[in-house]
Amino acid sequence: MARIPPSVLRRYLFGGHLPTGGCLRQVRHCRPTAHSLSTKRYHGTQVPSANTESAGPETTIPFRKQLKDEAKKRKAEGTGKKSKQDSQKLDSWELTVGIEIHAQLNTARKLFSAASSSINDAPNTHVALFDVAMPGSQPTFQKETLIPALRAALALNCEIQKTSRFDRKHYFHWDQPAGYQITQYYEPFARDGHITLFSHDGIAAEDGEQVKIGIKQIQMEQDTAKTISQPGEIHLLDFNRVGLPLIEIITLPQIHHPSTATALVRKIQLLLNAVDACVLGMQSGGLRADVNVSVRRRDSPSTSSNSYGGVTGLGQRTEIKNLSSFKAVEDAIIAERDRQISVLENGGVIEGETRGWTIGSTETKRLRGKEGEVDYRYMPDPDLAPVVIGDDLIEHLQSTLGVLPDEEILILTKEYGLTTKDAMSLISLNEGGRVEYFRNVVDEYLAISSEEPTEEVGKLCGNWVLHEMGGLANDLADEENPLKITSKGDSVIPAKQLAQLVQFLSLKKITGRTAKKVLSELFEAGLTGKEETAQGIIEREGLWFRPLSDAEYDDLAREILDGNTKVVEEILAGKEGKINFLVGQMMRADQDGRVDATKAREVVRKLIEEHR
Amino acid sequence: PPSLLGIAVKDNIATVGSRTTCGSGILREYKSPFEAGVVRNLHLHDYAVRGKTNLDEFGMGSHSTHSFFGHVANAWPFNNLSAGGSSGGSAAAVASEQCSAALGTDTGGSVRLPAAYTGIVGFKPSYGTISRWGVVPYANSMDTVGIMASDVASIKEAFHKAKLHDPRDPTCISDKAWKRLQPQRNAAILKMDAKRRRMSEAHALNMVGVRIGVPLEYNISELEPGIRQAWRDCLGTLQDQGAVIVPVSLPNTKHALSAYYVLAPAEAASNLSKYDGVRYGTRDGLPDGSNGVLYSRTRGNGFGDEVKRRILLGSYTLSSEAVDNYFLKAQKVRRLVQRDFDRIFAAPNPLRQAEQFDLKDMDESIQMSSKLGPTQVDFIVCPTAPTLPPTLDDASKQTSVDTYMNDVLTVPASLAGIPAISVPFPIPEEFLSEGKPAFAGMQIIGQYATDSALITIAEIMVN
Repeated sequence: MARIPPSVLRRYLFGGHLPTGGCLRQVRHCRPTAHSLSTKRYHGTQVPSANTESAGPETTIPFRKQLKDEAKKRKAEGTGKKSKQDSQKLDSWELTVGIEIHAQLNTARKLFSAASSSINDAPNTHVALFDVAMPGSQPTFQKETLIPALRAALALNCEIQKTSRFDRKHYFHWDQPAGYQITQYYEPFARDGHITLFSHDGIAAEDGEQVKIGIKQIQMEQDTAKTISQPGEIHLLDFNRVGLPLIEIITLPQIHHPSTATALVRKIQLLLNAVDACVLGMQSGGLRADVNVSVRRRDSPSTSSNSYGGVTGLGQRTEIKNLSSFKAVEDAIIAERDRQISVLENGGVIEGETRGWTIGSTETKRLRGKEGEVDYRYMPDPDLAPVVIGDDLIEHLQSTLGVLPDEEILILTKEYGLTTKDAMSLISLNEGGRVEYFRNVVDEYLAISSEEPTEEVGKLCGNWVLHEMGGLANDLADEENPLKITSKGDSVIPAKQLAQLVQFLSLKKITGRTAKKVLSELFEAGLTGKEETAQGIIEREGLWFRPLSDAEYDDLAREILDGNTKVVEEILAGKEGKINFLVGQMMRADQDGRVDATKAREVVRKLIEEHR
Repeated sequence: PPSLLGIAVKDNIATVGSRTTCGSGILREYKSPFEAGVVRNLHLHDYAVRGKTNLDEFGMGSHSTHSFFGHVANAWPFNNLSAGGSSGGSAAAVASEQCSAALGTDTGGSVRLPAAYTGIVGFKPSYGTISRWGVVPYANSMDTVGIMASDVASIKEAFHKAKLHDPRDPTCISDKAWKRLQPQRNAAILKMDAKRRRMSEAHALNMVGVRIGVPLEYNISELEPGIRQAWRDCLGTLQDQGAVIVPVSLPNTKHALSAYYVLAPAEAASNLSKYDGVRYGTRDGLPDGSNGVLYSRTRGNGFGDEVKRRILLGSYTLSSEAVDNYFLKAQKVRRLVQRDFDRIFAAPNPLRQAEQFDLKDMDESIQMSSKLGPTQVDFIVCPTAPTLPPTLDDASKQTSVDTYMNDVLTVPASLAGIPAISVPFPIPEEFLSEGKPAFAGMQIIGQYATDSALITIAEIMVN
């Protein structure tokens, strides 16, 4: 089974590196781009408010600043009392959340035109006639867009529909040239999936070990144009983005805790990256979520007629649109839950309405009620034939889907003896490169010493790859990725050298302190482009472990005893435990860490007896 | 150069070098950056665009009076009469001999009705034969590029040159698919053609073996007596030539017009959402959306009344409260209309699965030829329009619903996507009236993809 390094896509986007072979997508010209992370993507599939004046400019808030602001805000509010109050309330109310996630598919072309997809190219350079709705132009479905869409659907355990269709969703906004968005309303291409969230994914404690959330459907749709706001009420339009393919993932309302909602969004992003389906992560705007929130009393049997996707007896829901960070998802749900509970407890009624959430605020804001709701007037697109997906395509994509994160964690914990926490860290670091590197190191280790059980080697190497290497610092290193770990698992410290080093340590040929020192030197050598081997450094600097001779032990012990006469007296007076202090002093006194505690204790005891 | 054949092009078909206005105020200055597929195909075959012709705005109308540029008049000596719509300009250009052929578009009869009113031949091919790339859509699922000319031979020539496959139109049937549809279809024509050749020595009985259906439901009370008589004469002539005349029933005809006027405005409302004056089109430079509705000013000023009426109609029938009762019902009616045709035609529809037909809705007077049902036919012959062209004055006084009535005989073929051709047929002397033409449009309708055979029959009928 082929493994798809999750970061191939990112390398391709951020660095312009094209994966050669292995990908069904056609190779196309791609301008190297960098720092796409700073570009905030703002999916305009939301309905603009009827009043055009109110459609404000898109503001870009750096994610770090956002986090900082959020933290500040929380600090300023103080927490103690409020949470206690809330948790009491929550005993009698049940929260229900459903989420819609929009993600941009990783494709070479737009959904209905042959124009290239691009991220940061000069505005309006990738636009086909159809993209700007020139009269008489017609859509041509780009069937290659199905590949990432199907991968996403398979990763989310969906049933792929043999036949799906495209519909028009009508609303006016300047970023929507045709006056409608082409989407899949009546017959989406994937239905009835699910995603399993485990406690290590960060779900709420109340959800226990794992929770299964149903996916109602996944549909393909068009992106809108990018609005670039200028001073003085001027909005410039970049049609490079219009018509790019998106998928919308709609979950069932089966989420009952805010942190589970965040875990779901985070996990969906992880899965989409892992199967090479999606462009950019949530923080950079490639992913956007809308949440539907409702509450109901736990004790009284519900008489409500509200239901969605087969889930019945729900409270009246409200929708919060356009959440662009994990934090925003969680905070917005909490704020809306608390608002609804307090309205209901005060005898009020929840209106079915659309609400907004601004980063850093404490409550959701009403955008429009039912009466202001846009009637999308869905209509099947008469120009577009149904999409018929063959079993052969599904089978092929299924068999080349690669190892999904959950499976990977299972392998790392079961076969390589890592803890779940370490396994997750490995997977998430360097966009999958760290875990590749880890596997390379283990392979190299086993090549030198094949008798050792993989589980032991994994534990040992895991510690070095994750913790020791994580602690390395050097002025020459790049801040983002100091170890320069690539998606294929290469690094400035060759896997072979690390494996050799760890093996020397395991065989006690060197001490732990030496190993750290050599690692640091290998790191520096790698950064400066010098060819060094672990063995070479050890030889050159004479770092091989040489046990102390009896005489040396004796000399060292005497030295320590002379310096600690008080302690010796205490021991002679019966405080036997103080011997450990002296042993500790001996170990510290030897720079190379060659002192063996058991041997040292023997020598100390012998000398003290002589004193009696 | 004189060797080039001049064609007139309806102004909702994109040409380069001249404007493509669709007869609309909002596109009055619009020049298309690209050329329509059908125009390109004709250019490749020595046709030259002689000019663009006026039309009902975006093809919405039956008299070519709803244009930003003023109404179209019928050809001399009938200048005070309606030229029909919406391809009235193309029809008048052919009738006044300004071009050898003209391109029109037919969504619910927009090529056939003007042809009938101006005494020329108007052909609406099967849906998907001629590329719609560059044809500004009115109702995509029915829009068809049609050809108008003064004789059938010119239509035949232009049609075969226009229908080169164009991959840019996703609804355009590929050559391969077209071939696949052909064999069983052409068997009938070839058989007939062979018979005809054998018979031609005797200069008679050209139509031996051809079964012509006469839909009882088309004999509506609104049919003018002169036209009914012309229809009768036409059938008589065909019978004299050896054709078998068979009464047939198309029971869902009475709902077809209503279904059309639900579906076409719905698609139109959707298609016309793109005209906002932002990327192209005309706007007056004043701020838009000041009263809280985006583009209301530009669109309000840019569209004519009939277009606005249909946008409102379509927006309503697609709205969440009405979609089930109007749009979805109308789609079902459309299927039933298609089934009606599939049941009476001897040739199966190559686009659909063969099916058993329920005969209970059929008119009682239809005779069974076997226990499986009545005789099936090769073609249907019926009038194109229930009346002769009204005066422009009368046309302007018609209510919208009266105007929509003109399409009652052309709309079913549009809903079914099947080919139809309108040819002029003389009206008997005793029915002639002062100031009205002495011909009526007779329509021949065939099963899907029988376009070539249909043209052959039209040729025989005109002779």
